[in-house]
Amino acid sequence: MRELYMGVDVGSVSTNIVVVDEAVNVISSQYIRTNGQPLETVKAGLKTLQRQFPDDGVIKGVGTTGSGRQLVGVMLGADVIKNEITAHATATIQFVPDVRTIFEIGGQDSKIIVVENQMVTDFAMNTVCAAGTGSFLDHQAERLGIPIEDFGDKALSADRDVRIAGRCTVFAESDMIAKQQFGFSKAEIIKGLCEALVRNYINNLGRGKKLEPPFVFQGGVAANKGIIAAFEKEINHQVMVPEHYNIMGAVGSAILARNEVKISGNATKFRGFQAADLEFVPATFECEDCPNHCEVIEVKLDGHIVARWGDRCGKWTNSVSAIA
Amino acid sequence: MKVGIPKALLYHYYFPFWKTYFEELGFEVMVSASTNKAIMDLGVKASVPEICVPIKVYLGHVLSLAERGADWLFIPRFVSIQKGQFFCPKFMGLPDMVRHSFPHLASRLLIPSVESSTDDLATSVKQYQIMEEKLGVSRSDSRRALRKAEAVWLDFRRWSLKGYEVPEAMTMALNKTQGNIIEKETVDAGHQQEITLGVLGYVYNLYDSMISLDILSRLREMGVRVETFEMVPERALRQQLTGMPKTMFWTFSDKLFAAGYHFFEKPEIDGLIHVTAFGCGPDSMLGKLLELDSVKFQKPFMTVRIDEHSGENHLQTRIEAFVDMLRLKKQMNAQRGA
Repeated sequence: MRELYMGVDVGSVSTNIVVVDEAVNVISSQYIRTNGQPLETVKAGLKTLQRQFPDDGVIKGVGTTGSGRQLVGVMLGADVIKNEITAHATATIQFVPDVRTIFEIGGQDSKIIVVENQMVTDFAMNTVCAAGTGSFLDHQAERLGIPIEDFGDKALSADRDVRIAGRCTVFAESDMIAKQQFGFSKAEIIKGLCEALVRNYINNLGRGKKLEPPFVFQGGVAANKGIIAAFEKEINHQVMVPEHYNIMGAVGSAILARNEVKISGNATKFRGFQAADLEFVPATFECEDCPNHCEVIEVKLDGHIVARWGDRCGKWTNSVSAIA
Repeated sequence: MKVGIPKALLYHYYFPFWKTYFEELGFEVMVSASTNKAIMDLGVKASVPEICVPIKVYLGHVLSLAERGADWLFIPRFVSIQKGQFFCPKFMGLPDMVRHSFPHLASRLLIPSVESSTDDLATSVKQYQIMEEKLGVSRSDSRRALRKAEAVWLDFRRWSLKGYEVPEAMTMALNKTQGNIIEKETVDAGHQQEITLGVLGYVYNLYDSMISLDILSRLREMGVRVETFEMVPERALRQQLTGMPKTMFWTFSDKLFAAGYHFFEKPEIDGLIHVTAFGCGPDSMLGKLLELDSVKFQKPFMTVRIDEHSGENHLQTRIEAFVDMLRLKKQMNAQRGA
């Protein structure tokens, strides 16, 4: 019997489901677009996983992370529901033990994590603006009519440098249009865009931090060679992209789940693959008991309420005795 | 006669003073409800979009008090409470903002102009002349009420300095809790690694649970101890400021600035969180200066930026990750030290 651990990272753009063994070898991994439907996406992923699942395997622990971690955590019966910073760092430290700086750029979040002696000592996350994240690139790729997958190669083929204003998505766009009108090629514009994104990222998140090598770059945007090149140019040092760069959050939460069940000695709360067939219905209602009018999220499983959250006073959250 | 006090801005620092003063003079004090969505919506609708969220919220409180039938609306103009230092222009212009946004309320506004040399509001009596003019209060009654108000407010400050958060300290002072003012006992939340954070933020953001998305309770639930600027003795703050080549010019920003360095130097503080409202001018300097220096002191520093539509998920993720980081660090250091 092989003891396996499942990690699920439910992000704004993609949902990743991985299974690792005791020694954190990735046994199975899926990278699926969330398309605004976290539950459906995870269910579909769970079905796929069930088909590929090794006969001698058994899930001993489940962890969830990402912006949808709570909802999906309830659905799966997660042992650990952790924020994505902790999850990402956990995975990176596993694969690159001497890592000092982690660049992570996802769909709507970007972060810098500073690590010392395999320990997170500092981090920064974008505050109010999504300029400098994957969505920004996605949007621009669409505008230029170039598939996002080809973005990186296109950037590398540029002959000249062009500076694009990267402070804000809207300004970047008008600047790009202007530069196109000056006669710069699409490739050059894309390269300029990659550099703008990295410059903005380092300025926003890295200012005042001592960024030391080894540098590890992960998250969906790490697939983009143009951004990698822009990073190396900006910090003047080689940047490492780990093999599992786009599923690091999920791997991290699998590791956290492993640690949790090992330390607690508890059996996993995983509902099993049949979780994919259970009828989970999330709904929201506005509580009108006080002027706050909290939007309470309620999850029903086969008609029974299994979780509630979102209320400020905790009245509804606590009304569900056990979140199984 | 009802005097309405908006539960916003410096309510969170001076309410015990104001309440005692007016009640001593025989007025009924009417306080608006704690900020809720309805009050925030009122304020947001009534204000220009560029202004910071605490000011928007203040306007909401003013409207709600007016609706509830307060005879007077107490809107002090804070100019200075320290020699050579001033308030952010939004504080100085606040009564005008109210006056021009709500012309129908102009006759009900009670606008003392606060210009004193210390943050004890009883020390400059000139500002209370308006009470004589508008409310027909005699000078001697006003002075007597001031002395009472001062005593209660100083009590409030003493409780704060013992580690009580503002709402607790207010209750203690206003209920005239007797006996020695004792150090607040820290509740052991059963966590192995006790974490203490210095949380820097203006009282009107931090203690308004709607604006701050209740960051203090969230931290408490995680078993974190919190220290804030108003718990730091004035002497320690002054000491920090005298050593600086230049200070911040704005009184409360200066207090936060000094508290930041105090927390950097205090061994028990594991990390700092700066809670700032989007668009706050003074904080754009304050936050950056502290962030840059946090590296020197090797203390993690995180900025939490809030505005009227902040996402709770974002806040939760950040503070959870921050506390996780500090806990793991302590745990590892303990293991390695052993």
